[in-house]
Amino acid sequence: MTKHLSLSLIWPPILIAALFLGAWELLVVANDIQPYLLPAPTFIVENFTSDISLMWAAAYYTGTTAFLGLVFGTIAALIMSLLAQRLITVNRLITPLAAGLATVPIIALTPILNNMFNITSRTPRVLVTMIIVLFPMFVNVTRGLLQVQPVQLELMRSLNAKPRATLRILRIPNAIPFFFTGLKIAAPLAVIAALVAEYFGGPQEGLGSRIAGAAANTAYGRAWAYVVASIITGLLFYLIVVAVEKWTTPWTGRSRST
Amino acid sequence: MSNVPAGGQAVSVQGLWKIFNEGLANEVTALSDVSLTITSGEFVSLIGPSGCGKSTLLRVIGDLTDASRGVVEVAGVSPHEARVQQLYGIAFQQAALFDWRTVVKNVELPLELLGWDKKKRAARALELLEMVQLSDFANHRPWELSGGMQQRVAIARSLAVDPPLLLMDEPFGALDEMTRERMQNELLRIRLETGKTIIFVTHSIPEAVYLSDRVVVMSARPGRITGIVDINLGVRNEDTRETDAFYAGVTNVREALRGRSVGEKQARIGEV
Repeated sequence: MTKHLSLSLIWPPILIAALFLGAWELLVVANDIQPYLLPAPTFIVENFTSDISLMWAAAYYTGTTAFLGLVFGTIAALIMSLLAQRLITVNRLITPLAAGLATVPIIALTPILNNMFNITSRTPRVLVTMIIVLFPMFVNVTRGLLQVQPVQLELMRSLNAKPRATLRILRIPNAIPFFFTGLKIAAPLAVIAALVAEYFGGPQEGLGSRIAGAAANTAYGRAWAYVVASIITGLLFYLIVVAVEKWTTPWTGRSRST
Repeated sequence: MSNVPAGGQAVSVQGLWKIFNEGLANEVTALSDVSLTITSGEFVSLIGPSGCGKSTLLRVIGDLTDASRGVVEVAGVSPHEARVQQLYGIAFQQAALFDWRTVVKNVELPLELLGWDKKKRAARALELLEMVQLSDFANHRPWELSGGMQQRVAIARSLAVDPPLLLMDEPFGALDEMTRERMQNELLRIRLETGKTIIFVTHSIPEAVYLSDRVVVMSARPGRITGIVDINLGVRNEDTRETDAFYAGVTNVREALRGRSVGEKQARIGEV
């Protein structure tokens, strides 16, 4: 039953994608469109497979930046969330700050961060990624810590549980599904941030640098192949989060007991 | 473990007032001058329309909210002290189980907070699950259980530290009628086995009559006690709900809820 269900869920998007790619291919071949305008999917795949080791190296570099930014950003967000749930005043202080951070065009700060930190290092890029990750993680985890069923809080009070025990036994487990919701947003976002941050100078090893470099050298097929590698990297980050969530929190996605 | 000898005073409420937002424009008097004494081992129901303060009264006894005025004692100490000493267990309308814990771990929760060691609290929890006839579900997750089963887990949890007093706030309110009657029998059996004092909030007249030794009738705006109906049904069984004594109890409570005294209606029954 579940198998059939998941199959029926998987089929439509694959079909749509196949139709889309087919139409694209047809459009390019039929109209003899030049690769610098729009390369055909087969041409992109050709480039991707022939330069697979380059793809891997670039994805590995950018993926590492994204991963580091994701880890540090998540740790920072968790600390902020714990403070925010404990102290209402801190919450009032941090939440507008986090919202403010979300409205800053953080990517645009990269040149400044490049000057502040060592441009030849990965540090400015990790910092940008970290700041991008911070907001969705903070908002979701804080909500998870605070949005506890009132009756469960009353139960903990009736059991004479101290705030620390309530945090450990009730609030933190309650926040775990929220944590993963945040992570599902933040993980692909981290890849995009790490990639775009490469457009502002520094080491030329990552996907962003490679896309820009290939395009500048009129190697449009390879530029597009790097775009495909970027998509795969982002998707991989997302899928890993989904897998870890399924594995660690079997109770999410179930109807909640009342 | 009961701190109170049978027949002693389990709960005493004297001149209790509870006023929300006192002194403000949106001031609400939830309880006005409520006095009530509950004997150890007694089963007392609180019944009345919404807003009559029955849940508030329960919550003051459980130290989940403060009294505005008046004196409340639980097992001879203040509600706060009773809560700290874990002299009562509580069950709500919602089972309030933790989805991330198995059934047995949910029952262990109060013991875990008291610092019992793992083996001891697991043994105790399994014993309680046997009492509520859920031994087979010890390692299930709460969401895999029906509403009635979840509520039985919540009752087992409320009994974990073997408190002399049980506070129950409409625990069967969300259950269907058949499950509800089964749960009522179950509760009476548990009461017989454990000898707990039970304070039971409900808005069901038959439920209050079937379960209780005394039904405390309350009315709203301001919340107050308007009558106390004694119930004498002896040992309950399948047929109890169809006896004349049961119907008489239901009538008495209903009359009290309508604001008539018990004597008045008895005279009326005689007339018919």
